[in-house]
Amino acid sequence: MEDLLIRIEKRNDVPTTLYFFTPFIAIILTIIGGGIIFYALGFNPAEALKFYFITPISNLYGFSELLLKATPLCLIAIGLSFCFKSNNWNIGAEGQLTFGAIVGGGVALLFYNQEGFYILPLIIIAGAIGGMIFALIPAILKTYFNTNEILVSLMLVYVSKLILDYLVVGPWSNPEGFNFPETRQFSDSSRMPLLFDGLRVHAGIFIALAAVLVSWFVLYKTYLGFQIKVSGLSLKTAKYAGFKGKTMILIVFMISGACAGLAGVGEITGPIGQLHRMISPDYGFTAIIVAFLGRLNPFGIIFASLVVSLTYLGAETAQIFLQIPQYTGQVFQGMILFFLLASDYLLFFKVKILSLKKNELGH
Amino acid sequence: MATDLRISNISKIYPGCIANDNVSLQFKSGKIYALLGENGAGKSTLVKILSGVISPDNGEVFLNEKNLKLSSPLDAKKNKIGMVFQHFNLFETLSVFENLSIDATEDNKSLRVRINEILKKYNFSIDLDVPVLNLSAGQKQKVEIIRCLLRSPKVLIMDEPTSVLTEQETEELFISLKKFCDEGILIIYITHKLKEVLSLCDEVAVMRKGKVVSVSQTQNEKVETLANKMVGQKLGKIKKKIKISKNKDEIFKVKHLNFYSDDPFETNLVNLNFSVKKGECLGIAGISGNGQNELFQILSGEIITPNTSIIFRNKEIAKLNPKQRREYLMAFSPEDRISQAAVPELKIYENVALNNFKSSNFFEKGLVNERKIKEHSKKILSDFSVNTDNVELKSQFLSGGNLQKLILGRELITAPELLICYNPTWGLDVGAINYIHETLIKINDQEKSTILISTDTEELLKLSDRIAVIYKGKLSKIMPSDEVTPEKLGILMGGGSID
Repeated sequence: MEDLLIRIEKRNDVPTTLYFFTPFIAIILTIIGGGIIFYALGFNPAEALKFYFITPISNLYGFSELLLKATPLCLIAIGLSFCFKSNNWNIGAEGQLTFGAIVGGGVALLFYNQEGFYILPLIIIAGAIGGMIFALIPAILKTYFNTNEILVSLMLVYVSKLILDYLVVGPWSNPEGFNFPETRQFSDSSRMPLLFDGLRVHAGIFIALAAVLVSWFVLYKTYLGFQIKVSGLSLKTAKYAGFKGKTMILIVFMISGACAGLAGVGEITGPIGQLHRMISPDYGFTAIIVAFLGRLNPFGIIFASLVVSLTYLGAETAQIFLQIPQYTGQVFQGMILFFLLASDYLLFFKVKILSLKKNELGH
Repeated sequence: MATDLRISNISKIYPGCIANDNVSLQFKSGKIYALLGENGAGKSTLVKILSGVISPDNGEVFLNEKNLKLSSPLDAKKNKIGMVFQHFNLFETLSVFENLSIDATEDNKSLRVRINEILKKYNFSIDLDVPVLNLSAGQKQKVEIIRCLLRSPKVLIMDEPTSVLTEQETEELFISLKKFCDEGILIIYITHKLKEVLSLCDEVAVMRKGKVVSVSQTQNEKVETLANKMVGQKLGKIKKKIKISKNKDEIFKVKHLNFYSDDPFETNLVNLNFSVKKGECLGIAGISGNGQNELFQILSGEIITPNTSIIFRNKEIAKLNPKQRREYLMAFSPEDRISQAAVPELKIYENVALNNFKSSNFFEKGLVNERKIKEHSKKILSDFSVNTDNVELKSQFLSGGNLQKLILGRELITAPELLICYNPTWGLDVGAINYIHETLIKINDQEKSTILISTDTEELLKLSDRIAVIYKGKLSKIMPSDEVTPEKLGILMGGGSID
């Protein structure tokens, strides 16, 4: 009788090039997987995939939309990379985005009938502070009361969404708005400047790019970045080296929250122009995928945000041309994460199949 | 029916460590057997093999001359081998009865009858319908024991059962175990506590570094003989010249060090007071698990204890964290070099930067000064003869000895006034051990002080000027090491007293 033994061993050395290459494998596998799903639904896979991945960006408008949606994803993912690199699991970026939008939007509404160059910067700063404060809640609860930041940050998403709901229905709703759940339109001075006439891509993209550069510098060139790296690899070592663990948790959450808040402000002062219930199609959650697909590396995140942004656009085109629900976008996002995690597992571990004759076991 | 359990030539090799090296043992029912050894001696591996949790690379297990194939815990169960682990496997929110009925094969009614019979027979008082989380550690252990008894086991293995029990609960446990033994259950008792072996067990097998080093009748043994077998008593030939200097300054002084933990797996420390003189090595001996971990972390500043006074070079440092203590010229080399003292995934120069002392300029104005760190790392690699000069190498590719040299080098390059190390040569080969011993002696020659916490008696006698023993979180009196013999240490390490 033969026994099959499957043994899973950790690989000692994973080449860096392969580490950054696996996201591409995950994307290719996602496209293949998507093709299979389209085929099962009765579509010609090649054609469906073309509608999904090529049609959306085949013109200038589409390309602008791609950048528009990549902007918040990139910003939030950059912030999250600080948390994830240091072993802090901030799952509530969606809530921090919402709260940042509420605070920034509140400032915009204060100035709804005024113009001035100073208004937009004020809104942006207010949004960043809003997100930061909201992210501080799970951070403080974690450092001083030992709560689990995953649960707290996640639950706070719903809190902020309900606050937004209350505000747009109640005190902040537009007096001339026929009771629609939305606020007044922001004044022109409260809006992000558009980069090109007729396209929706706006100046927020520069904030995202600045965040990429700053985060690269902080993560790889500063003492703070070094502490983040060490704490992420081994908390025991960080403690032994005497790093101020609590302060660091607060800092990474603040950075992460500020980025999410900025993303929220970018949305409401950019394409939306007011506050209403649906300011974000779950950018805060999708950015978690973006962060990991980009390997928590600032430049990787730029690339990942473009890919994931395309799944949003593809879903919209697919809805129009193929009459399939736009939730397929989430299916694709889920597949990317799944294939990424699967290929990571194979990257870091090897599976050995040993077959042994039974009587060999004792010798 | 008599039970006979035989382990034959069992070996289990993990990467970088031989956990069990050709272990053969024989057990017969009617006796209580002790398996004695330090942490890491290979006891737990052997127990896991017997309970089917892991399979050996080599060797066989026979129960009544039947070759057992134990490839899962289920196999152990089928063959009537019962096991009570150190960490309980109970669902805290379920009731006692629910926990016991999870894997029972009979209906609840007859199960309850049988459980009640067991409770009565062994005089256990446990309410079956309260959630397990309301029980004391001793009661939880009884639930685990009942779970084994329900399957009328032939063999009952207890893994470090008293580590979470109070004195009284321990006594009760011993009474029960003796009863089980009289009823013909073969009992294997795993521990590193010597007194328990002597008061409970009939035969004792001692393991060290994966091997069985002795099997004997407990009536022929004493605490010190067992201790010596357990830690090994080969005395080194090279010995440091001991300096006892009465008029030297006390550089480091600890007063009223108390530590209390809610975690039953940590050891409380009770009123430790000691001091270290300039140029002296103070050795702290003890069997592992007697508070050394906690002591090291308090001395390094990872744990801050209230009301403790630690004076270092005339300054109170008890409230400072490790980084601040380094600035006063203390240095630390922890026991766990792979996941605490260094990070395997980091490059050598990044691991060097972990000791970011004040004058290092590794991080000027918050920015990484890579050039400086690399220069400094190169110096450490050559000064401490680490067998590479590539500072970009990931530390995981260094052998244990070279990694330890790197860590010691990193700690010593600041010329600290006091080095605190904990098992610095654990798991290293002879060459590396000698190098590190020579380095530690050299530090003392340069009038710098060391505190050496070690479980290796040989090492302590070789390097220390004065020695104290830590037992159950209490420190013995401090003795000049030329008055100390391995036998004396053995008695103190086992909880006995001398004079």
